[in-house]
Amino acid sequence: MDKMEGSFALEDMQNVQINIGAIVKEVDEWDQPMGPFPYPSIATLRDWDFKIMNRYKVFYSPICDRCTLCTYGPCDLTGDKRGACGIDQAAQQGRIVLIAVLMGCTAHAAHGRHLYHWCLDKFGDLPFKMGDEILVDAPLTRTIAGIKPKTLKDFGPVMSYVEEQVSQLLACTHTGQEGSFVDFESKALHAGMLDSLGKEVSDLIQIVAYDMPRGDEDAPLVECGMGTLDKKKAILITYGHNLAGSAEAMFYAEDNNLWDKVDIGGVCCTAIDNTRICEGIGHPDKEFNDNYRMVGTKAKIAGAIGWWRKMVRGDCMDCIMVDEQCVWTDAIVDAEKYKVPLIATNEKIMLGLPDRTNDPVDEIVDDLVNFRMPGVVVLDPVKAGEVGIKTAIAVKPKRAEIREADPFLSEEDFKKYAESCTYCHSCQFVCPPHIKIGDVVRAAAEGNYEPLSTTYEICVGCRRCEQVCPQDIPILSLYAYANREYIRNQKFKMRAGRGPVKDTEIRRVGAPLVLGTIPGVIAIIGCGNYPNGTKECYDIAREFVDRGFIVAATGCMAMDMSLYTDEEGKTIWEQFPGGFDGRNICNIGSCVANAHLHGAGIKVATIFAGRNERANYDDIADYILNKVGACGVAWGAYSQKAASIATGFNRLGVPAVVQSHSVMYRRAFLGRADKREDWEIIDARDGSKVYCEPAPEHMLYVAESVEECMLMMAKLCFRPSDNNSGRMIKLTHYCDISMKYFGCMPPDWHVYVRHASDLPLKWKEDMMKELESKYGWEIDWKRKAILSGPIRKSDVSFDPTNIERKIRVKK
Amino acid sequence: MAVDTTKNPVPFEMAQIPGPEMAKAYNTAVIGAILKKAKRPLLVVGAELFEDPVIFDKAIEIGKTGVPIAATAHSIKGFVERGYTDNVTMIGLHPLTNYLRFKDWQGLDGKGQYDVVIFMGIFYKFASAMFSALKNFNRDIKRVSIDRYYHVNADMTFGNLAFNVDQYHEAVDEVIAKLKG
Ligand code: SF4
Ligand code: SF4
Ligand code: SF4
Repeated sequence: MDKMEGSFALEDMQNVQINIGAIVKEVDEWDQPMGPFPYPSIATLRDWDFKIMNRYKVFYSPICDRCTLCTYGPCDLTGDKRGACGIDQAAQQGRIVLIAVLMGCTAHAAHGRHLYHWCLDKFGDLPFKMGDEILVDAPLTRTIAGIKPKTLKDFGPVMSYVEEQVSQLLACTHTGQEGSFVDFESKALHAGMLDSLGKEVSDLIQIVAYDMPRGDEDAPLVECGMGTLDKKKAILITYGHNLAGSAEAMFYAEDNNLWDKVDIGGVCCTAIDNTRICEGIGHPDKEFNDNYRMVGTKAKIAGAIGWWRKMVRGDCMDCIMVDEQCVWTDAIVDAEKYKVPLIATNEKIMLGLPDRTNDPVDEIVDDLVNFRMPGVVVLDPVKAGEVGIKTAIAVKPKRAEIREADPFLSEEDFKKYAESCTYCHSCQFVCPPHIKIGDVVRAAAEGNYEPLSTTYEICVGCRRCEQVCPQDIPILSLYAYANREYIRNQKFKMRAGRGPVKDTEIRRVGAPLVLGTIPGVIAIIGCGNYPNGTKECYDIAREFVDRGFIVAATGCMAMDMSLYTDEEGKTIWEQFPGGFDGRNICNIGSCVANAHLHGAGIKVATIFAGRNERANYDDIADYILNKVGACGVAWGAYSQKAASIATGFNRLGVPAVVQSHSVMYRRAFLGRADKREDWEIIDARDGSKVYCEPAPEHMLYVAESVEECMLMMAKLCFRPSDNNSGRMIKLTHYCDISMKYFGCMPPDWHVYVRHASDLPLKWKEDMMKELESKYGWEIDWKRKAILSGPIRKSDVSFDPTNIERKIRVKK
Repeated sequence: MAVDTTKNPVPFEMAQIPGPEMAKAYNTAVIGAILKKAKRPLLVVGAELFEDPVIFDKAIEIGKTGVPIAATAHSIKGFVERGYTDNVTMIGLHPLTNYLRFKDWQGLDGKGQYDVVIFMGIFYKFASAMFSALKNFNRDIKRVSIDRYYHVNADMTFGNLAFNVDQYHEAVDEVIAKLKG
């Protein structure tokens, strides 16, 4: 890179120049000038964070009032007490939030780091190409790091940056470091942003290295559900998030023509990534490309995380490979108990097992197949894949022999257990979704299995009930027994993860999104801790697809919504096309792929609005906050990754709604609609201040019921930039959802009315009457016009911003 | 004989043990008296009312004594269906608690902050966390639960009555009687 005067390159950061004085162009074909904040450090974007938090108040609901982190403790921090180190309750909560967000961030980033090394080892450095329809190809990397990667190796410095920042941030949680809750939260927002970057890098590396679809709305439909696993074959389950070992198992099966002997079923995000392999624009390595074209379609999606223990009890596996993240740590206990050999393939999860990485494959397989050890560690993905396939095939008949003598649960056992229930309710005290387990078991004892089948999808498989049952009733096994027909028939289709949103799609939807005529982007993300069952995933998706929103899903919710069909037996993926457009539903991919949803927001700002994204994070976030009606939902959020994902969305100006268990995250960002001064926005045209309606009203919101969730999502799609017809459309959906599920209009609909043409046509007359009679607005009935009343006038050329440097001409 | 609501003071989700300050279970007469004495009480009800709809009627009885009702989640629907919406306001539990923790909030009616909040029919974990927010960040508001659970982060609560529906209904009736009396 040519250096120019007054500039310096950061060590180890190729293609980055920070200039002192005039802006310097990088000497490559990306002609965007470097923005103000390349590789932002902890304090760089603090002003932006404070802007967010001035409006969206940091709200804490402590789950624990104490701190036990150092030897001065335990300290009681209840109310206005402080710990021995001086920390108060709010800061302590912020500290815990930061730690949780860092856990999530590092899980994604370390996943990316592993893939980075592994893919470079396996494939060498590959050109970073996203195809002709994706030219803005790594939007978060460009926006945060300010670089445009050309090969996989270019992501190295990006990962190093994330790792350095994470280490700085974790240091802040030591006793006697940060002491202010707002600064803890600014740091958490920073960690959330790093999380989004780590995810982007992870997914882009695997997209290129494994030739996954690049924004393909017609990505293939793949098989999903426990019933798709063919019991006549050996079943290898690959569980976790990092496809390295699992992909090798698939390649081994392909190379050796073993697909008629083995089924590979993924659990959690590995499932999604397995089914994306070699479905892209073609791998640069011709031989690899020829050998494995469309191999992803041969893998099956066994299910999302909430189904794990149900699969174990449902006898759906002969061998397990685990990689990383969200692997229930008692997998090895179950593996041993049910004689399912387990292979740990990643350093992050070794479960106390012997490391056999350097042993010959056949010796390892022999030990596993003869149950000399319940599991092994094999860290070489290629070897792990071969061990997995060979073990699954060889152990299947052995397991059958053992199991004939010892089936999981006979009818007799089922009855015996059900009848032993004393109706003590200990189980119900601990069941997260509050299933009335005592009633369910009692009904089963009386021969009525109906409650066991209707609550099967509601059970999150946590096994807490079994642990407290004084009668040692294996409740999950009762479920498995009563639902064995369902398990056999759980066969559905899901669209394989399509990857990023294409530039062409953004061009098509950019204007309608910013004007509001496409009422919003609904980003459905995350895990399987649903308050009331998997069906609500489908209900949420259907509600918004039907209403013409852009609906994009990732991760476990994408899998769980696949388990339901319409009257014609079609899953949501078969009912609607897979584009990034209104009345479409796209599966973006696994949870690292949800970085492409951030990416889509960034691309609206760059492709549609022509903003420079390069090293310009706050400007882009400001654009998204004010102009891109998008809302995330994590209706099954359980993990620290979900915390970092939501926090990363929030820093980029995208609100999120989560389910009621999410109070465990302790922190929300909630607006105060009653404080006019909180909603003052700058008009970038002349710097004047405008009081706006609260849009979006909240940043991170816990909903108590799915009905409230849907209403809030519709509301959080309002943006100050909506034009009249856009606002009218959004208001129509907001009021319509309220009428449908609440039986009345929302109490604050009038707040969002700026002009008579904002009013939904179907209620226009009545609404105008109410504005006059209830709220005292002045109405000109002849012209059907609003003369006074609204918070502000509608103004088509209003250019809302929260950033002073965006003001074009000072008044 | 009055229902003994001081029995079973065990968190409904057993691991909900916040710290040194935990709720005390009171009998219905004391709780009723506290509600009666309150200057600015607010009854907060949630979506669990749909699982035991008779509680809607009991909430309405309380509403009719002049205690305003915040209907969280989609519980407003139950009030609309019963034709009683006079002093019932639809609002999410999360933003409501956020408002409650600020001393300068003027209430749902614009007449000032509340002095006693009473929770009923709300998903346990959520209600518990919102009580915790008030316990830690606005201690001027008294936190009362008349739900079927022992609510560990409240000031005053019933013990667990979750498995005895009749007793629970009776307990609520006793509170209402005291409030009216
Ligand atoms: S870190 Fe502070 S609050 Fe925590 S135990 Fe130590 S002194 Fe107490
Ligand atoms: S395993 Fe299922 S039924 Fe048992 S406590 Fe967990 S969610 Fe409830
Ligand atoms: S804990 Fe066991 S014995 Fe008690 S109600 Fe539940 S299933 Fe029955």
